[in-house]
Amino acid sequence: MELALNKTQVLRQKSMKVLGAKVQDAQLSLTYIAVSFATLLLGGIFGLLQGLDRSGIMPLPSWLNYYQVLTAHGILMLLVFTTTFVIGYIYAGLSHVYGGILPQVRRMAWIGFGLMVVGVAIVVTTVAMGDASVLYTFYPPLAASPYFYIGLVLVVLGLWSVSAGVFINYHYWRKTHRGQPTPLFAFFAMGIFVLWFFASIPLMIELVTLIPWSMGIVPTVNVMLNRTFFWTFGHTVVNVWYFVAVSAWYVAVPKIIGGKIFSDKLARVVVILLVILNLPGGFHHQIVDPAISTGVKYLHAFMSMSVAFPSLMTCFAMFAVFERVGRKNGGKGLLGWYKKLPWGDVRFLAPMIAMIAFIPGGAGGIINTSNQMDQVIHNTLWVVGHFHLTVAMTAVLTFFGICYWLIPYLTGRVLTPAMNKVGVIQTIVWTFGMTLMSGSQHWVGLLGDPRRTAYTTYNGSEVAASWDPYELVMGIGAIFLLTAVIIQVCAVYHMMFRSPKGNTEFPIAEADDIATTPMWLERWGLWILLMLLDIGMAYAVPVVDFIVNAPPGSPPIRTW
Amino acid sequence: MKQALYGFLLFVFLALPPVANLLESLMIFHMHMQMPLFIVCGFLIGRFFQLKFPRFFAKWNTNGVPGILLFTIITGYWMLIPRLMDEAIASPAVEWFKFLSLTLLAGVPLRDSWRKLGSVGKNVVYGVFIFIFLAVAGIYLGAKNQLCNNYQFYEQKELGFGTLFVAVCMIIFLIYLLFTDQSEFTEAKPEQDCANSD
Repeated sequence: MELALNKTQVLRQKSMKVLGAKVQDAQLSLTYIAVSFATLLLGGIFGLLQGLDRSGIMPLPSWLNYYQVLTAHGILMLLVFTTTFVIGYIYAGLSHVYGGILPQVRRMAWIGFGLMVVGVAIVVTTVAMGDASVLYTFYPPLAASPYFYIGLVLVVLGLWSVSAGVFINYHYWRKTHRGQPTPLFAFFAMGIFVLWFFASIPLMIELVTLIPWSMGIVPTVNVMLNRTFFWTFGHTVVNVWYFVAVSAWYVAVPKIIGGKIFSDKLARVVVILLVILNLPGGFHHQIVDPAISTGVKYLHAFMSMSVAFPSLMTCFAMFAVFERVGRKNGGKGLLGWYKKLPWGDVRFLAPMIAMIAFIPGGAGGIINTSNQMDQVIHNTLWVVGHFHLTVAMTAVLTFFGICYWLIPYLTGRVLTPAMNKVGVIQTIVWTFGMTLMSGSQHWVGLLGDPRRTAYTTYNGSEVAASWDPYELVMGIGAIFLLTAVIIQVCAVYHMMFRSPKGNTEFPIAEADDIATTPMWLERWGLWILLMLLDIGMAYAVPVVDFIVNAPPGSPPIRTW
Repeated sequence: MKQALYGFLLFVFLALPPVANLLESLMIFHMHMQMPLFIVCGFLIGRFFQLKFPRFFAKWNTNGVPGILLFTIITGYWMLIPRLMDEAIASPAVEWFKFLSLTLLAGVPLRDSWRKLGSVGKNVVYGVFIFIFLAVAGIYLGAKNQLCNNYQFYEQKELGFGTLFVAVCMIIFLIYLLFTDQSEFTEAKPEQDCANSD
C-alpha cells in the first residue's frame, strides 16, 4: 500500500513538473498578479507626481489636488497592489503544495476577484472625481462620498470570500491527511489569512458605521472608536505583507540557494506568534491621541513590541541558513561565508536586500512603538520613511523577487540569464531610489518636517526652508523608483508572455526536523482563541473608555 | 527544572513593587493580567514540586479532581469577591497572600491536574469557568455603585466588558472543541496513515 502511495505521489510530482501548475489555478493566480502589476504602475505614477510636488520640483496642475494624488497612491499601492499580489502568490503556492485547489475554492477566489474589482473601481472613481481625498486612512472626521465606503465594503467582502476559500481547502486537507502536519507553505497561508480575516472585521464595522454618517442619516460618529477600528486593521495589514515576505524567506529562499529550512518547528512557532501577537500593535499608531491614558500607552508598548520576538527568531533562522550554505560553498572564517552566497541571482538578491532593509526598518518600528520616542517623530516624514522602508523594501522587494520564479512557474516558461540581469538591475535601482527617498524622509522627519501636508514654505519660514534639500533628494528618489517600477512591470510582462517555454520549479525547501513536528501546532482553534484574548486584553480598556466617556460625536467634515 | 526556574524568576519580577503597582493600577489588568500571570508562574514552578514530591501528588491528586477543585476555589475566590482586589492594594499581607495563593494553590495544582483529567473533565472545567466569567461580568456590569474604593466606576465597566469578551471567547472555543474532530491532532500510527491515504 505504501508503494502505491509513493507511486501516486511521484506521478503527481512528475505531472506538476511538466504542466508547471494546474492550468485553472495558474489562470487565477496570473489574473490576480496581472492586476497587481497594472496597479503598481498606476500607483507608481501617482507616487512620482506626489514626490515631485512635495519636493517643490514640479507642482501639480491646478485640476489635480495633492491630497487626491496622495489618497490614490496610498489606496492603489497599499490596498490593491499588495492584496492582489498576495492572493495570486498564496493561491499558486496552495495549488502546488495541495496538488491543486478545490473547484469550489477556486470559484470563491474568482467571486472575491469580482467583488474586489467592482469595489476598487467604485473607490478609484470617487477619488478621481475629487469626492474622497481622505487619504488611505479615511477615518473620521474627514468624510468621503458614501460610494467610497461602499466600494471598500465590496473589497472586504471579496477578501472574506478568498479567506474562506483558504480555510475550506486547509480543512479539506486536514481531513484527508490525518495525523500529518500541513505543508509549511499552507501553514503560512493559514496564518496569513487568519490574521487578515480577523483584522478586517473591525474595518468592516468602521465602514458600516461611516456609510450612514456620510449619507447624513446619522449626524455624528465616535471619532476615537473609528480611528481605533481602522488602526487595528491598518497596522495588521502591514504585518500581513511582512508575513507573506517571511513565508517566502522560510519556504523558498533556502531552496533557491541550495540549503534547507533551519527548523520546521521554529517556522511554525513564528507563524503562531505572528498571528497571536499582531493585532494589538495597531495601538502605537494612536500614541499621540489625547483620549488614551498614559498608563495604557505604556502597557501597549510591551504588547506592540512583543511582535519583535518572532522577527528576531526569523532573523536568527535565516542567517543560520545563509551561513550554512555559504560554508558548504567553501566560505571560510567568521564572515567569509557571505561572499559565497548567490548574489548574482535575483531570486536571492531581492529578498536578501529586503531582509537587510528590515534591520533598520524593524529598529525604526521599535522607536515608533515606544511612547516617549514616538512623541518626537509621530507626525513627521520619519513615519513615511519608515513605512516605505518596511513595506516598499522588506515586503515589496521580496514580492519582486518572488515574481522571477513564480511567474515562469505559472506560465510554463523559464527565467533567462538576460531576464535575471534585468531583475538584478531593477533591484539595484529600486534599492538606490528607496534609500534616497526613505533615508531623506527619516532624516528630515527628525528635523520636524510634517507628513500628510502638501508643499509649503510656511510663509518663508527659515526652518521650513532647511527641509528643502532633503525634500529634493526625496523627489529624486521617487524618479528612480518609478524607473524601477517600469522595469519591473516590463519584466513581469516579458515573463508572462515572451520568455522561452520550459519548466520552472516552485521552490519548496526541505527541513530535517519535519518528522518530529508536533500536531498540536495545527490547533488553529486554540491559536485563534489566544489571539482573541490578546485583542481583548489590548482593546477592552480603551474601547470601553471611548464608549463610556465618549465626547460629542463629529459631523462629516470636508476640508477640500 | 529549567522551567521551574523561569517560573520563579517571573514570580520575582511580577512581585517587584513597581511592576505590581503598574499591573494593579488598572482594574482589568489587575484581574486579567496580573492574576493569570501568577498562575502561569505556579504552572511553571509546578514541575519542581512534581519531581520533588511525586508521591504527594500521586496520593492526593490521583485523578486530578482535587487539584482542579483547589484551582477553581482559589481563582473563584479572587475573581468573584470585588473587595479582595481593594484589600490586596490596601494591605501588603493580603497582596502577598494573593501572589502566593495564585502561584502555589492555583498554578501548581493546575499543572498536576490538567493532564490527569479526561476530555469530559476538561470540558466540565471549561463550563465552570465560563459560568464564573459570566457571573463576574454580571457583577461588574450590573452593579449600580462603585464596588472598590481604589477603582473608579468606569473601570469596573471595563472589567465587566473585558470579562464578558473572555467568556464569549471561551464559549466559542468550547463549541469548537465539541463540534470538531479532535483526533485530527493526534499523531498518526503508520498503519492508520496508509489506510487514510487510500
